[in-house]
Amino acid sequence: MASKKLLSRRRFLQGVTAATAASMLPCRLLVPGTAQAAGFDQNEFQVFRNACPRNCYDTCSIKTYVKDGVIQFIEGAPESTYTDGGLCVKGYSYTRRPYSPDRIKYPMVQDGRRTGKWRRVSWDEAMDRIAGKIMELKERDGSLLGLGMTKYSGNFGITNYGVEGLMSSLGYTTRFVGTPCWPAGIDAQNYDLGNMWCNDPEDMVKARYVIIWGANPAWCSVHSMKYIMEAKRRGAKILVIDPVFTQTAAKGDVFWQPKTASDGALALGMARHILDKGLVDRAFVENNAQGFEEFAAYLRENVTVEWAAEQSGIPAEEIREVAEEFAQADPATIWIGYGMQRHTNGGASVRSIDALVAMTGNVGKEGGGARYGHLQTWGFNYNAFIQKQPEGSVGFTGPAAKGEFDLTEGRQASYSDRTVNINKTAQAILDTKDPAIRMLWVSCKNPFAQDFDRPKLEKAFDTLEMVVSVEQFFTETVANSDIVLPVTTLFEEWTVNASYWHYWLSINEQAIKPLHEAKSNLEIGAALSRKMNELAPGSCTLPTEIDTREWTAKEFNQGIYDLFGINDWTDLKNGPVKAKLASSAAWHDMKFGTPSGKYEFRSDLCAEHGHKALPEFKKGRESYDKFRLLTPHTKFGIHSQFVNLDWMKEYNKEPFVYMHPKAAAGKGINDLDMVRVFNKVGEQKARVKLTDNVTEDCLLIYEAWFGKGTTFNVQNLVDDESADMGAYKAGAPGVAIHDQFADIERA
Amino acid sequence: MKKQYAFLVDSERCIGCFTCAMACRNYYHQEEGVVWRQVYPLSEEIYPHRERAFLSLACNHCEDPACLNVCPVNAYTKREEDGVVVHHQEKCIGCGNCIRSCPYGAPKYNPVEKRAEKCSFCHERLDAGLKPACVQSCPTKALQLVDLAEMQQTNQVQYPAGYPKMEKLNPSTRFILPKTPKMVRR
Ligand code: SF4
Ligand code: SF4
Ligand code: SF4
Repeated sequence: MASKKLLSRRRFLQGVTAATAASMLPCRLLVPGTAQAAGFDQNEFQVFRNACPRNCYDTCSIKTYVKDGVIQFIEGAPESTYTDGGLCVKGYSYTRRPYSPDRIKYPMVQDGRRTGKWRRVSWDEAMDRIAGKIMELKERDGSLLGLGMTKYSGNFGITNYGVEGLMSSLGYTTRFVGTPCWPAGIDAQNYDLGNMWCNDPEDMVKARYVIIWGANPAWCSVHSMKYIMEAKRRGAKILVIDPVFTQTAAKGDVFWQPKTASDGALALGMARHILDKGLVDRAFVENNAQGFEEFAAYLRENVTVEWAAEQSGIPAEEIREVAEEFAQADPATIWIGYGMQRHTNGGASVRSIDALVAMTGNVGKEGGGARYGHLQTWGFNYNAFIQKQPEGSVGFTGPAAKGEFDLTEGRQASYSDRTVNINKTAQAILDTKDPAIRMLWVSCKNPFAQDFDRPKLEKAFDTLEMVVSVEQFFTETVANSDIVLPVTTLFEEWTVNASYWHYWLSINEQAIKPLHEAKSNLEIGAALSRKMNELAPGSCTLPTEIDTREWTAKEFNQGIYDLFGINDWTDLKNGPVKAKLASSAAWHDMKFGTPSGKYEFRSDLCAEHGHKALPEFKKGRESYDKFRLLTPHTKFGIHSQFVNLDWMKEYNKEPFVYMHPKAAAGKGINDLDMVRVFNKVGEQKARVKLTDNVTEDCLLIYEAWFGKGTTFNVQNLVDDESADMGAYKAGAPGVAIHDQFADIERA
Repeated sequence: MKKQYAFLVDSERCIGCFTCAMACRNYYHQEEGVVWRQVYPLSEEIYPHRERAFLSLACNHCEDPACLNVCPVNAYTKREEDGVVVHHQEKCIGCGNCIRSCPYGAPKYNPVEKRAEKCSFCHERLDAGLKPACVQSCPTKALQLVDLAEMQQTNQVQYPAGYPKMEKLNPSTRFILPKTPKMVRR
């Protein structure tokens, strides 16, 4: 190509050595004067299969185009009807991620936390320090319970459960269990239905009525939007219920903006009206449910539409109209978002919404359903997860909770790991004694961006003797660590990914060699195991050599092959496959997982666990400051991931506080002023944008971490108050992220 | 009418997700600050809620392109077969005439190459029978590739509010206007 020498040396190449610039561009950006460049030729690339491992509904299947060992561009896999050839704004920024100049390139040690005095060390030296500390703890305490591990959803690739595996192979340790995401709702659905299991999202096109309740798919599940839009095109009514006028709300037919955390009242008000109008699905409640009459009696005695209107601020007439329409549409469905259950009454609210869907006979129906999430396609071997403790390991004796993704069952041992609440990370570190948590291993997680009460977290971290972070970027958590180990991106390792929303399964191939000195979580485990066994033979049971491809293969079994209709895991190299479903509806056979085997309007188990047996109304948390503070997801990131990339910053330059113009006028605040938001937890400065997308009594800041040169962190304003449910299935209650309050002033 | 490829921006479907913009960057790796496709929120005078309706815009591949007309070294051509306006960076001397004269701000200055560049309509993908990267990426099909010669007259508009009306250039991008839902607010 004549124009080769003129090609831009694009910035992403900085830091990538050897390869020539000319061969880098996927396109023929520059063409001869005829404007007749040669067409795009796929044969010039090696194409790999990847899968987005972030904590996202969509879990997109990716096609990665590689030339000369460098990723040129990526796109969505066309084989998946869900991804349909596309990704999202975050997904398309992946091309930059492995090559980001900000990436952590080799193991580093910080001389003094938060000093920024990082120096490069060899993998051997890093492992030497870590292993030495582990040996010391064991000697000092007689167990490894002083070693804590906090890991969550930074990478849901199945082999990343090797982090838990590594801990087990060292001995019994302290684990942060639970989930900040969805536990209250999981428990609620388990009480009502016996599991969390949702319809195939693709069947939403069949719905005649769709309520999206506290979810914002336009930002958090972009590929689901086409099903909602298609349902609308086919005549379904789309109602979006949210305290914020979200992007999803802007696409619906009707938007309801109730008082925050009044969802339970709203659902019960609708239920009462449906009861009064005789629109209950009698066949369902009589044959497939338990306790409906008691629920009906509760409604008659305690709930009126007017009361619901007063609680929620939605006019009674509206509630009646929607209740009737919903009950008469066939099928009708509700998408229950994770946002609406992040309240002290979140579990109770989800139960009320489940009841509304069930009493109208929409559970177990294609195009219907109370959609929340599912783990139906997560039947892996958890080979990386399940490791044996070394001979003679001493651990915790007593009841310990298990986490939500702990799918291992009934392993009998006299000892167990010690568990603490992941949603109270700071408090757990401060409170845990005998032995105290002395050392912390952090992977797939950025506690300082995500865990609550950041000021307290800093104090808690200061009590730790050693913090090891496994990361790709210099996050605030890394700043609060002593050692950072560089971990691979999805393109540099093998794994497999399933969704908790749709039913597609994707393989993640190694598309490029790990850059710099990055290792996968599994390989890091192997490196530590080598060192441990060198220092004390038999002190770590994890293999000392690991091939991520082999470990990926080991996660498969006949059950998965049958579910997905494949003969071998290598078939996934041809593209993602979808589970062979008997029906697109969850609970289609009406065999519920509850003790009674029926849908339980009255759940005795729920009562045993200290809640109400019926889906009764529960009041929300009392306000502790002037404004309600909401900190939901941004469209430009998943928690702290992606927002730091320079490519993302092209479109998302700085964080803002969103505030209603009337409320701002009262405070003398003008659009784009710098403001200070503050409460009992801490404070945060940012510029303000005035908008009636939020109500007068609400402040909204999108959750994010903005990297270099900023201290922005919404967790300065969020305390660690618990949600009502979550302990049953997730091991610890959820957290009332949206039950926060704050005041604001010009900065 | 001759074949003229165009972007159809359906703001009724667009969720302002910026996927299209990032898909372009993913494919071309533009220098920092060089943006070929941008997603613009409509001002509240046009759509009454802040940052809830958008136009996704790149080069319009105009019928009578200003960039082409002002270029002293003929670095622009308009393809006969589909109307795509191509910038040839190897001819470009970086004088900036095109950047100054395009009322839609499509050509950008590349500070590393010291030359102009802009949306190519992914013509090398078009020639291989593929969609432009941005069009393929859009999760709601709000951004589409259309041929104006074949397009049926429907609800599309050429000059929505807030978009410069330049009839001489005759930009080929077409729009469908956004709608607002019924609002029940407390
Ligand atoms: S973040 Fe979600 S939508 Fe985006 S690429 Fe990953 S899985 Fe897909
Ligand atoms: S990708 Fe589609 S929906 Fe998203 S901003 Fe672009 S045009 Fe709009
Ligand atoms: S057509 Fe191609 S070059 Fe133009 S904006 Fe879309 S992706 Fe970018």
